[in-house]
Amino acid sequence: MARVITITSGKGGVGKTTSTANLGTALAILGAKVAVIDADIGLRNLDVVMGLENRIVYDLVDVIEGRCRLRQALIKDKKYADLFLLPAAQTRDKDAVNTDDMIALTNQMREDFDYVLVDSPAGIEAGFRNAVAGADEVIIVTTPEVSAVRDADRIVGLVEAFEKRSPRLVVNRIKPRMVNRGEMMSVEDVLQILAIDLIGVVPDDEQIVTATNRGEVAVLDKASRAGRAFQDIARRIAGEEVPFASLDEPHGMLDRFIGIFRTPRSRV
Amino acid sequence: MTGPISIKGGRDGLRLQLDEAAAWGDLLSALQVQLERGSQFFNGARVVVDIGERALDDRALTTVLDLMRSHGLQADALVSSSRDSRSAARSAGLAARPMRAQHTESEDRAEAGFLQRTVRSGQVVRHQGHLTIVGDVNNGAEVIAGGNIVVWGRVRGLVHAGALGDRNALICALDLQPDQIRIADLISRRPDRQTKESDAAKNLPGPAIARIVDEQISIDVWEPARRSGGSAP
Repeated sequence: MARVITITSGKGGVGKTTSTANLGTALAILGAKVAVIDADIGLRNLDVVMGLENRIVYDLVDVIEGRCRLRQALIKDKKYADLFLLPAAQTRDKDAVNTDDMIALTNQMREDFDYVLVDSPAGIEAGFRNAVAGADEVIIVTTPEVSAVRDADRIVGLVEAFEKRSPRLVVNRIKPRMVNRGEMMSVEDVLQILAIDLIGVVPDDEQIVTATNRGEVAVLDKASRAGRAFQDIARRIAGEEVPFASLDEPHGMLDRFIGIFRTPRSRV
Repeated sequence: MTGPISIKGGRDGLRLQLDEAAAWGDLLSALQVQLERGSQFFNGARVVVDIGERALDDRALTTVLDLMRSHGLQADALVSSSRDSRSAARSAGLAARPMRAQHTESEDRAEAGFLQRTVRSGQVVRHQGHLTIVGDVNNGAEVIAGGNIVVWGRVRGLVHAGALGDRNALICALDLQPDQIRIADLISRRPDRQTKESDAAKNLPGPAIARIVDEQISIDVWEPARRSGGSAP
């Protein structure tokens, strides 16, 4: 039986889709059978981030409206045979689906997968409600910005009102040097406001942008710090105790030298 | 609150009780006064209207509902033992209930409210009496009370004490730096330069108490020696 996990944020552009693609891939790397659902109907892009846009024949709305079977709409990943994408419809909008449809759809998928990840649209309206409807767990992605944290706080309140398990938090795109200079909210600042459990911290990583444009996910890139952070989050989702990696990035030769002797993982 | 109008908060939300024996005209004008005095409190609220045995026809009910609506107050249901009133309510699109449920005891206890959680952005907590919150009031949240507000936590959102018109109401918190603070009909906002949350935290740490002094809301750092009853110089 799959765990259905919705990835959401409130604010747009904080990295929901990138997180969904990376976590889905990372869970598949761990050997799980995974489906990722793009619930952003009318503005699909999870397919692009995963490099699967040229394979779409049927989509989520086709499944819900009975034009195809679920199996026909699921797209197999390029690398991992146990990773599947259910793409959003691009020519429809959020009204094409309701919460009952989404609950039925996710329940139908529970049989066949270990994890079903749902990529939520931004906002707090119908699209968000649909994305959360079938979820067992919710992961909230935020960036260390006041506006994103404020929206995340709103989402936490809504998720709690749906009587879901308390959501867990990914702080994305943190820049350790800016935090050290006091120019960016720290992870502690964010946690102090949101008061929910942290499941991961992803450092800002320019390679993510280039990888995303190529339709490749960061977890496949061994050199990517963000990729490693997503892999850690996937292991935490799977129930492993993974210590939080130190965010300090090496500055010069000396730092790097010291870095070798430091324990590789320390508490944030 | 004495007189023909009373507002109570029970488990099912706010309840507006209109005395069944009072003259209809007096009742309407008393309601008008009450709604104007607490306009901040009522705006956006939903209530159950309890009219006891009074029989209202469609027109009389519409008058009351319009008056409430013009102050942002939305009726969810009507409670009355009169069959005519209930049928008028149904035709106005309200739920109608025959008699008040037996929870007067819990309503009395709800005179002072207690809440243990984080009040998050977009959430509104509304209570007709004093209110104690153990937890934070985050940016974008609203806490509105007819009486005093005491927060054992950080206050960053909007807090409004004395929202039914009580200018003696107090707001205290372990850390009081709201976007906006309101007591009765007075409003005070955070100075503009404290834009970053981290800056704000440095400027006024520690427990503080807000009250009206000389027609203005004054926020003072809590000093244990000072008695909270007297007005500050």
